[in-house]
Amino acid sequence: MAVLECKNLTKQYGHVTALEDVSFSIEPGRIVGLLGPNGSGKTTLIKLANGLLTPTSGELTICNAAPGKETHAIVSYLPERTSIPLWMTATQLLDFYQDFYKDFRRDAAEEMLAHLNIPAKQRIKQMSKGTREKVQLIVTMSRAAQLYLLDEPIGGVDPATRDYILSTIIGNYNPEAAVVISTHLIADVEKVLDEVIFINQGHVVLQSSVDEIREEKGMSVDALFREVFKC
Amino acid sequence: MLRKLMKHEFRATGRIMLPLFLILLVTSVGANFSVRGMLDTDSKFLNVLGVLLVMAFVIAIIGVCVMSMVVMVQRFYKNLLQDEGYVMMTLPVSVHQHIWSKLLVSAVWFALTIVVVCLACLVMAFDVDLVQQIAGGFRELFQEICRNLSAYYAINGTAVIVEFLVLCFVGCCAMCLQFYAALSIGHSHPNHKMAWSVLWFFLMQFIMQFLFGTLVALLDESWFHHLLLGWTDNISGMASVHLGMITVILGEVIYGAIFYILTTWFLKKRLNLE
Repeated sequence: MAVLECKNLTKQYGHVTALEDVSFSIEPGRIVGLLGPNGSGKTTLIKLANGLLTPTSGELTICNAAPGKETHAIVSYLPERTSIPLWMTATQLLDFYQDFYKDFRRDAAEEMLAHLNIPAKQRIKQMSKGTREKVQLIVTMSRAAQLYLLDEPIGGVDPATRDYILSTIIGNYNPEAAVVISTHLIADVEKVLDEVIFINQGHVVLQSSVDEIREEKGMSVDALFREVFKC
Repeated sequence: MLRKLMKHEFRATGRIMLPLFLILLVTSVGANFSVRGMLDTDSKFLNVLGVLLVMAFVIAIIGVCVMSMVVMVQRFYKNLLQDEGYVMMTLPVSVHQHIWSKLLVSAVWFALTIVVVCLACLVMAFDVDLVQQIAGGFRELFQEICRNLSAYYAINGTAVIVEFLVLCFVGCCAMCLQFYAALSIGHSHPNHKMAWSVLWFFLMQFIMQFLFGTLVALLDESWFHHLLLGWTDNISGMASVHLGMITVILGEVIYGAIFYILTTWFLKKRLNLE
């Protein structure tokens, strides 16, 4: 059963079409890169999967259910911007996640906070931008979800933090789950991906496994991306 | 889940409201010193200090009342329609639970604000003789009520009090929902979200007043008007009071329900987080 499935999905903002007739499915146990240039529709797709937007037409399902209260319980979402309540301390944030998500692994979250020397009693507002992003990633990846939707998890952080974020994703996701990583920084994420979906101007232009790209086209995902999206 | 939402809502709002209540109570003690002596002394310094303390008390009362409104609006706006909305609107809870948690917590803070302001006024006016007089007055009033109390007035009096409390709660919810609806509609626009929200608030206010005015004009001398007149001629004064209270409560429920439907629809179908 597909964890995430889109059938002829279209989303319009007024007269602007953000996604048009998008169809694909993602199976469990895969780490999928949702790759495309800025403004290609990646964030719109992830917002639709989280029920933050309503499709204009077509269908999007998560484990055969439309996005809503039930799917929120099995989807772990990392938004592209820091959206955790800044007035909370890290401990209060863990309390918050523990209260709402049955699959939240508090011990894993506390271990990651301690590993990064993030003071549990410090208010998130007092942390640096990079530390806030790490805290947000920690709570997202501390859930044993069935689908992880990570929107630009490595955008705007230094290379050392990028490595940490990627190793956190690989080291903490539920192996039975699917992970969707939306980004335009292909070279950094390529090493962790099983599959890629190229999206451009609201259309899916390619869905393929990373091995197929390397074997059949004889190039890296980054090189193929540069060729497909050449300006 | 509603209970958990309310727990975190109280945590978020309590960190603002509780210190404000504390400040109000502290300023009321200052105002008490001022009223009981400072303003009557010959010392210019104590006179000025006394006036400042009374001013601080008045400002604190206004501040607490204004902040209870600001917190109600700000929590909905920041928590559901700004960045935090990405976390809140993807929790495994329904939009209805989100709205009810905010409504119930706001109602509790409004009620507590009234209680604390009354308490602060009592602290400000605190005088052993005065307190004894007030306590004596209440004791006499209670004894008088007990002496003259018949089952008719006991039941009807309790019912009127319950109706009044229900009216306060429903009215408070309807007021909050008008703000929530305006914010939800305003934030469905791609740009100038807050300006649209303010515009929608006043537009909805105008529309509701227009509809209410039209309804009153249409009902005047209508069959319904005569039906009501027929009823009031044949029922007791107390029954008229109940009828009036229930009518106002129903009116407020309809008023609030319109905004509730608008709020939930826009949050479900037209959410437009940046």
